[in-house]
Amino acid sequence: MARITAGIASSHVPLLGVAHDQGKDRDDYFGPIFAGYDWTREWEKSEKPDVIILVYNDHASAFDMKVIPTFAIGCGDHYKPADEGWGPRQVPDVFGHADLAWHIAQSLILDEFDMTIINEMDVDHGLTVPLTMMFGAVDAWPCKVVPLAVNVVTYPPPSGNRCWSLGEAIARAVASFPEDLNVQVWGTGGMSHQLQGPRAGLINRQWDNLFLDGLIGESDHLRRIPHIEYLRETGSEGIEMVMWLIMRGALGKRTLALHRHYHVPCSNTAIGHLVLRPDNGQELDMTISGASVAALTE
Amino acid sequence: MISDTNIRDYLAQLEDIPGTRVFTAARARQGYHLNQFAMSLMKSENRERWKADERAYLEDWQLSEEQKAAVLARDYNTLLDLGGNIYFLSKIFSTDGLSFVQAVSTMTGVSVEEYQAMMNAGGRSPDGLRSKREGR
Ligand SMILES: [Fe+2]
Repeated sequence: MARITAGIASSHVPLLGVAHDQGKDRDDYFGPIFAGYDWTREWEKSEKPDVIILVYNDHASAFDMKVIPTFAIGCGDHYKPADEGWGPRQVPDVFGHADLAWHIAQSLILDEFDMTIINEMDVDHGLTVPLTMMFGAVDAWPCKVVPLAVNVVTYPPPSGNRCWSLGEAIARAVASFPEDLNVQVWGTGGMSHQLQGPRAGLINRQWDNLFLDGLIGESDHLRRIPHIEYLRETGSEGIEMVMWLIMRGALGKRTLALHRHYHVPCSNTAIGHLVLRPDNGQELDMTISGASVAALTE
Repeated sequence: MISDTNIRDYLAQLEDIPGTRVFTAARARQGYHLNQFAMSLMKSENRERWKADERAYLEDWQLSEEQKAAVLARDYNTLLDLGGNIYFLSKIFSTDGLSFVQAVSTMTGVSVEEYQAMMNAGGRSPDGLRSKREGR
């Protein structure tokens, strides 16, 4: 039986991909950002997930204005990095898990989530930057990926509550897949940022950290945050954080945080990163990161 | 859950944020061809044609004269007003070789150096910029 063993939240700023690809990831500007992912990279080497269900949004790369799916799931075998206007990133191609993806797609539709199914697309920084942050420079990504794309560009995007419920339905679908698979769910995007208009550059460290706090333990209250609060408090692009709730919804009632990282700025954006375990009696290694231990004993 | 919010209130709230144009359906409709034009610059052969003669390239797209003028002037605030979305508009400034910080700073009325200094100091505070109506 397939099971969800962890959830990861991470920003997916395109500049992180550029910094990594140009070897600037340990310089004065980017060093503190990437250092916050070192623990996770080591941890992933021992976790060895088989599949990542990677929740992200496309940024006018695979989807233009012709078709705007609210929730879309990649059911293909193979995705190439997108050319986002400066040539595709020189990172490995992404391999899907079509059996699991089709199983999830069918289960979700029967569970009343009317998914759009994607057989072919290119994947942009929203998907490839988190892979780079978690796995570093590799010749091949160490696991399969099921892309789950959410519209957070054209309004209205799905509500936080709907995202959470989709996460719960994904967990049910994974639990009914017969093959023994170690599955992680990643929620990407955020944290506070605004890329447009005179209010651009908005950062809300306090709100971001309350949101990170809220994802740990019982998180039910996060479901009821309306869009307007994300927009007012975290900037127009902070709305991407609704995607983190798909990940959180998939982890069940309670979580434990193994690792946490927050940094301002990266380009126009606040970087947030969290590694969560479902706290549901599964026999999983609950060792938390050194940085998290230090923060707890401060 | 937004079930206690009707669509009129929902949309009115989106217009209440200072210095922000939320990409609503109304803007998406107004900016459809503008955004699709910008999207066309994802292809390198189109970028070459665009760089060779911007004005001629725009003739192939059903943009209003105002939209065309704002594109040629790289006036991003006006483009947002005319239905542009930043992720689509980014194809224009990427083709110009500008980063997000460089392009975004042009919408804020300060130099790129001042903008970068603001970001390095922790970014723009939301205080006073949450709501036009409530002034908070
Ligand atoms: Fe994004």
